[in-house]
Amino acid sequence: MTRFFSADEVGIRHPRRPAGLLGLLALLVGGCVQVPAQDPGPSGPFDPPPPSLRRLTQGQYRSSIHDLLGEDILVSGSLEPDAAIAEFFAVGASATSISPRGVAQYETLAYDVAAQAMAPEHRGALIGCTPTGASDEVCARASLVALGRRLWRRPLTGDEVGELVGIATKAGTTLGDFFSGMQFAIAALLQSPNFLFRAELGHADPEAPPTAKRLFDGYELASRLSYFLWNGPPDDELLAAAESGALDGREGISAEVKRMLGSPRARRGIDAFTSDWLQLHGLDDLVKDTLLFTQISPEIGPAAREEAERDVQRMVLDSDGDFRDLFTARETFVNRRLAALYGVHAPSLDGFGLARFPEDQPRRGLQGQIGLLAMNAHPTSTSPTLRGKFVRTILLCGKIPPPPVDVNTGIPEPSAAARTLRQRLGGHANGACLTCHRQMDPIGFAFEHFDGLGVFRTRENGVAIDATGSLDGTAYSDGNGLASALHDHPDLAPCFVRRLYRYASGHEETFGEEAQIGRFAAGFKNGNYRVRALMTAIATSDAFRRAGQDGE
Amino acid sequence: MARSKISRRTVLKGLLGGAAVSVALPPLEAFMNSSGTAWADKSPFPTRFGIWYWGNGNLPAKWAPAGEGPDWMPSPQLMPLASLRKLITVVSGMSVQTANTVPHGSGPAGLLSGDDMKNDTFSRPSIDQLIAASIGGSTRFASLEVGVQRANKGISHTGPNQVNPPETSPRALFDRLFGAGFRAPGDMSKPDPKLALRRSVLDAVTLQAGRLKTRLGATDRSRLDQHLDGIRQLEKQIDALGAAPQSLAACAKPAAPKDDYPDVEGRAQLSAISRVVSDLVAMALACDQTRVFTNMFSQPVNNLLFPSATEGHHQLTHDEAGDQPQVDAIVVSIIAELAYFLGALQKVQEGAGTLLDHSVVLATSDVSLGRTHSLLDYPILLAGGANGALKTGLHYRSKSSENATRVTLTLLRVLGVHATEFGVGPGRVTGGLDAIVV
Repeated sequence: MTRFFSADEVGIRHPRRPAGLLGLLALLVGGCVQVPAQDPGPSGPFDPPPPSLRRLTQGQYRSSIHDLLGEDILVSGSLEPDAAIAEFFAVGASATSISPRGVAQYETLAYDVAAQAMAPEHRGALIGCTPTGASDEVCARASLVALGRRLWRRPLTGDEVGELVGIATKAGTTLGDFFSGMQFAIAALLQSPNFLFRAELGHADPEAPPTAKRLFDGYELASRLSYFLWNGPPDDELLAAAESGALDGREGISAEVKRMLGSPRARRGIDAFTSDWLQLHGLDDLVKDTLLFTQISPEIGPAAREEAERDVQRMVLDSDGDFRDLFTARETFVNRRLAALYGVHAPSLDGFGLARFPEDQPRRGLQGQIGLLAMNAHPTSTSPTLRGKFVRTILLCGKIPPPPVDVNTGIPEPSAAARTLRQRLGGHANGACLTCHRQMDPIGFAFEHFDGLGVFRTRENGVAIDATGSLDGTAYSDGNGLASALHDHPDLAPCFVRRLYRYASGHEETFGEEAQIGRFAAGFKNGNYRVRALMTAIATSDAFRRAGQDGE
Repeated sequence: MARSKISRRTVLKGLLGGAAVSVALPPLEAFMNSSGTAWADKSPFPTRFGIWYWGNGNLPAKWAPAGEGPDWMPSPQLMPLASLRKLITVVSGMSVQTANTVPHGSGPAGLLSGDDMKNDTFSRPSIDQLIAASIGGSTRFASLEVGVQRANKGISHTGPNQVNPPETSPRALFDRLFGAGFRAPGDMSKPDPKLALRRSVLDAVTLQAGRLKTRLGATDRSRLDQHLDGIRQLEKQIDALGAAPQSLAACAKPAAPKDDYPDVEGRAQLSAISRVVSDLVAMALACDQTRVFTNMFSQPVNNLLFPSATEGHHQLTHDEAGDQPQVDAIVVSIIAELAYFLGALQKVQEGAGTLLDHSVVLATSDVSLGRTHSLLDYPILLAGGANGALKTGLHYRSKSSENATRVTLTLLRVLGVHATEFGVGPGRVTGGLDAIVV
């Protein structure tokens, strides 16, 4: 049989960690038993996979336009959707392409954006010369050299500039206006794969043996750093650092990373990571029965998303606190709508302010917020399984396979004997279902004090809520106890390091990176779980500057 | 002008497996009914292909019609299609036989691409893209992907991780099809002078992509090839706007839909949106803007609140006890929207027949019984006679749980892709379903 695709071509191309005999056995037994990672040891080599093109995510496209062409430019209309792979859009961006409809959408947007950029009140910021007529090659060239370097995140070649000047000249002549002509050249810059994809491909390191890894040049590193830390393009200073060679050395990189984390753009970067890490895009289109949840409105989901983003921002950039406290915190940012749902006084009439969850509710941490509770629930009810699965997989990096086929997944109707969802889910405690559901449901039960929208309740169908459960041997009576168990769970911090590394590198981590991830995790622990220090460690590491050789 | 010679067609041909398949061009002549059914320029009415897809399956016990062959009576779940009975073939009892590793994903991947999902994505192109590579070359859009549920995951795949996401905003769909630049038959206004400039910009982008490609490994080259394919399709779309509109009797520019269809009490206006989308797709076909489409009514695993349902759709398929009356009502309401869509095609008169006569629509879902994620007795409906190439008004009941990809292979052949086989591993078949072919 002909093989139509090489292994490289079927999606994620990076080899997964070999499961080993123990892992295979575990999968055969139940499918939900954790596969113990082979430990490559603290001094294991760093052997990363080859580099991939990374498509700008929707957020990165928008921030690139705003940072480089003007904050006031409207990016309206839809963009090629992001796709999650390995639970991250950042990873999907390394595997997906652009559909024909996406190409057409990018074209429409490119002309829309270019027209705004060249509007009379706006173009002064982007065109540094006064054109002598409808076609002025000198002025077009000077402008496009500067614009191109920003938009493509590297200097353009002579050929590239020449083609763009040709477009500007031809269009300017045809339309009888220099700035109309420039619109077409800018539209060409914006539709180019050199803009839409980040070509961080590296080059063979001349000072290393032939087996060594590919090394990113200064411009590629500038782009890696800025999309990691800012979720946006390099600014002029970063490009200047690339040009001067400052990014070729550890000292220069450290200085730039420090500057970048001190910039307001770092807040945008943290938000983007938070959203991707916690899958908060699920809050953009919540489906909830408005007759049951009368407080729901279309603004709740986005507000809850902002709440979580602000909390992480505060911890990373303002208080520089212990990462684990994100899961026990009682303080959170709320606006008036969220305050009403939490049953607290709104700290501010408009916008967000700090508030404290009520002391008489077992509500704590990110996992106790409206956002994650509403997202991991059903339109009319809670879901201990979905909520537990989120904690198990996203926060603790456990793996839960899909339910086997031909299993009757029906849940009994409420009855006199089983009035609460928890009672009705009792069937999960039997036989084949047990292996996986015991990894999820006992965590999820801790959230049963919060309805399908995340609002506090003490009873369900007249029966007092039972929120007891246990997390890997630590028993608790409600969400407070779960928060503490989560805070102290040995997998929590290592899992976070793994997730942040995955986000930064744009691929699902491979076995050759385990040792390096282990070193990051050890540093995170030794530094008392400071995320800012972890981000700095990743961004300034030798690992972040290198990729593997392409197999070809 | 310097241009990559690797066309979309060549790429897809490679995917189909070299010797096993040749993509015939032009493909249509063999399937034309020659008895005077033709457009004004004497070209025969082309055969259109579409997928109409909904998420979360059916209830097999209430799905298969009573009676076989031409004498079938609609089952409870197919009752909305009763008036179209003569134009529909129900294929029941067949199974998707590729591995069922991804609930709600393996079914459509197996049926439409002939292989299971791998690494969270289809591993091969879906049938609509294979057909578009064959017959999509002459229309403005090689294929059109639309949807009703507000979501952006698509089932149409050009290759692994190469998804064609559905357009789910009726207004954006209208703008794309009939917005600026579209000229209906008889509209003699001049084409926009900027079209040529847009073309030259795309020439430059193509050059840039070509240079980038030389620096990439195989996987990234293939990703960029899809980008380049999209650019070529956009060039074709621009050229189509520059050409004089065809004289097509049934083509008229429709009215623009509303900008927004907001949820009502947490429930999406699925029926209203579906009907607008149906009419737009019908007119896109009548105006020969495309000949291939995928209409995703709802997404796999969707948890939409349907009218009067007490829980989300997906949740109900798993949790609802007994005979699942709520799931049943939801399936019936979805089939009613399918009936509206097919009715919209039937309303378009083309010569002695209708657009539906000149089409074949494969209506299917992601599972059969949602509760168990079953791929047995898979829901498969075919509507329209494909210009006389397919029998209609039949119920074909498989006695041996035959491989559902036999239907896929049949459809490929009917649409002019001379495939000797389809699918790989347990999805592979070499024979079509002769019982439904004229």
